[in-house]
Amino acid sequence: MNLAGRLHPISTALRELASIFARMGFSVAHGPELETEWHTFTGLNIPPDHPARDMQDTFWIKDRKEEVMRTHTTTVTLRMLEKMAKENLTELRTFNPGKVFRNEATDITHEAQFYQIDGFAAAPTGQITLAHLKGTFEQLYKEYLGPDVKVRFRPSFFSFTEPSVEIDCWFHVPGKEGRWLEMSGAGMLHPTVMRNAGLDPEKTQGFAFGGGLERLLMVKYGIPDVRYFHNGDLRFDYAFEEKV
Amino acid sequence: MKVSRSWLQKYFEAELPSIPAIDDALTFHAFEIEEVISDDVIDLKVLPDRAGYGLSHRGIAHELSAILKMPMKMDPLRVPVSAFPPTDKLVITQDDTYVLRHAGALVRGIKVGPSPDWLKTALEAVGQRSINNIVDILNYVMLDIGQPAGAFDVGTLKKDDDVVKIDIRRAKKGEKITILTGEEYELTDAMFVFTDAVGGTLLDVAGIKGGKSSGVTEKTTDLFISVGNYDGTLLRRASQALKIFTDASTRYQNRPSPELVGYGMRDVLALIKQVAGGELVGVVDEYPRKPVARTVSVTRKNIEEILGAEYSETVIEDVFARLGFSFSKNGDAYVVTPPFERIDINVMQDLVEEVGRIAGYDHVATKAMTASGSVPKNEVIAACNAVRDILAKEGYSEISSYVFQDVGDVEMAKPLADDKKFLRPSFERGHMRAIEQNGPNLPLFNAKDLKLFEIGAVWPKGKEKLILGVTHWTPEKSANKKTDAALGAVSEFLSAAAGKPLSSARIGNTLQFEISQLIGVLSATNAKPPSLTYQQFSLYPFVLRDIAVWVPDGVAASAVESIIREKAGALLKRCDLFDTFSKEGRTSYAYRLVFQSMDKTLTDAEVNAWMKVVTDTLHEQLNWQVR
Repeated sequence: MNLAGRLHPISTALRELASIFARMGFSVAHGPELETEWHTFTGLNIPPDHPARDMQDTFWIKDRKEEVMRTHTTTVTLRMLEKMAKENLTELRTFNPGKVFRNEATDITHEAQFYQIDGFAAAPTGQITLAHLKGTFEQLYKEYLGPDVKVRFRPSFFSFTEPSVEIDCWFHVPGKEGRWLEMSGAGMLHPTVMRNAGLDPEKTQGFAFGGGLERLLMVKYGIPDVRYFHNGDLRFDYAFEEKV
Repeated sequence: MKVSRSWLQKYFEAELPSIPAIDDALTFHAFEIEEVISDDVIDLKVLPDRAGYGLSHRGIAHELSAILKMPMKMDPLRVPVSAFPPTDKLVITQDDTYVLRHAGALVRGIKVGPSPDWLKTALEAVGQRSINNIVDILNYVMLDIGQPAGAFDVGTLKKDDDVVKIDIRRAKKGEKITILTGEEYELTDAMFVFTDAVGGTLLDVAGIKGGKSSGVTEKTTDLFISVGNYDGTLLRRASQALKIFTDASTRYQNRPSPELVGYGMRDVLALIKQVAGGELVGVVDEYPRKPVARTVSVTRKNIEEILGAEYSETVIEDVFARLGFSFSKNGDAYVVTPPFERIDINVMQDLVEEVGRIAGYDHVATKAMTASGSVPKNEVIAACNAVRDILAKEGYSEISSYVFQDVGDVEMAKPLADDKKFLRPSFERGHMRAIEQNGPNLPLFNAKDLKLFEIGAVWPKGKEKLILGVTHWTPEKSANKKTDAALGAVSEFLSAAAGKPLSSARIGNTLQFEISQLIGVLSATNAKPPSLTYQQFSLYPFVLRDIAVWVPDGVAASAVESIIREKAGALLKRCDLFDTFSKEGRTSYAYRLVFQSMDKTLTDAEVNAWMKVVTDTLHEQLNWQVR
């Protein structure tokens, strides 16, 4: 008797999300978890000693200056923009899922390690707009959460995007009232980030986004505690059943 | 930042809408609302870009005015500051590496006392404690227009021939200061202080916290008022090194315009005169590096190319007018001069955001992202997914364990806990823990052995590597042999799939493979991921019972199982057939039953009662016998 094992729900989710993004022209990109300060902060227009650094509690490394545990996978976006500059690409879209780290106390909604689903699309100026960001998330949530979802933007701030928005999603959890949920931060890539990557911000323009994956899954499936995802408990894998 | 509607109301002739309407207006056009505290007070999340002007009631009032198209009846930042009278009774020297602007005033003959009701009420509404009229005025002006200020008791300062001399200088390493709240701090030469240049006493950690020695008390009659603007970077470093975070340091590190100093001094002096009386001797205003007025240009095309929607010139110009941005046209370009306090407007995109948010993002309609052709495959992710499928088929389940643990080569500067100081150099510890944690739960999965795997980063010798770890464990006899055999088989089937021998390293019960050797070799099939549902698992212990029953040959196991399931009660979680044999016309079926509650620990007595019902019912069947 050799019963099939179970994939971790994050693996299953990432496959489905990657296929949704692929239909919108995004390939999957990845990068290191122990990152440079440049790719995590400075290159993303979060300079040293700037209050914007307080927006993320960071694990710095002892005796290894200028290295951090990445606090977001926007690090991969910067690496991909650098690749565009280096290889003279005029357009690129990537979906960058990956583990990120925040130095904060854990509870049912906070975890020191979690996954972010991050990505970007860039092309010659005027081709990729905030309206396309809305389109991307509407398609993403419609395909992943259901046809009834709605998407809205609220103004926000991220150093690496301008304009910056929060993306809310109207989602109806079965058996509960529908409500707006804050799902992702996003915006149009900041000209400083483009320049830092070696691109000309007058010629290349695009959007970037990033949000927590566990939160999306908690909403989709009604999972009550974020800590189930990374504590190695097999009961969590077995709590998922294929829909028949 | 806590904001009171009644405080905001002083800026408007017309009545402001209710808190829910204000909440809505700010949420969709300016700031996130942290919390609605009462029908008068909301707590706003002012993010760093807008903190230079938004950490003030005036700033929020101005936003509301723009969003709701309600004119402000007065705007203190648009009323020019008249020149202050000079004085030779106050001499201030300052280190310009730190001090971007400083205005000091000497006021004599004031009366310190309780604040008038309107001032107390205003401060208490936003959660500030009233201390005395002078301190309250400083707080009020800071919360009103965003400019922090300090007040010192001149009576505590030494004078040089009736002249007060203040030096704002770099602290000396090891110098100590007792702050207003009584704690003593040792300073470094990366910090800056106010000192009494005659007596030499340290008076204040500049821009961060006042000192105790010159604090305002009931006996104070003469004041030195300080309104400054300091280097945001140096101040932030000092504040972090001292771990002193104040309303003033928060504002300064967000680099408000030094222009604000004049407005702050004007308002503080006016209120002191009104509330505490006294006579202004004069003001010393040192402003060595006055910033030049900025202009930022944007075209309608810029706006439409970034937001992806159409904006008429009327709409764009209306947004600028509502925000108080003056502009001229140069060809297609709007050349905008932002008001001095809007330090956040620096590049064209900043103006695009202002148009987008004030006009409202609802105006941006959805545009579909279309793709031509298929996207390139990520070979690393494809290899990982292929391995996952192979291992799952072979009965291995995937886990995710923590990267932080108690030993390793890469140490966190500030770890979450003592046992989470290092990055894992391998999966060894994490998977040992997974065995301890999951081993006892095997009956829940109807498994004899624990088969786990994980794909993730590890940091052996400080270098990041992506690896696969496969772990086997069993509570049964000859466990080691079984684990050796299982992991040997893993190595074989993975090598077979890869079409080449794979190298691996065994640590304890775990076999580790570097993913790099699988890239381009293994690739995921495009199997559509299944649709899943989630059923919360119980966090309580389960109880096991085995039961075996003789039945006449020919009775199907399903017949036995359906009786068990029917009679064992609602908390029977599993019923697994684990042994079958026939002898002398009879068949023995052995079942393992797992009982578990979602909301309590089951007692033996409870389970025994359910088992008795099962046993009795099985016995009642013709020629059945529970063994």
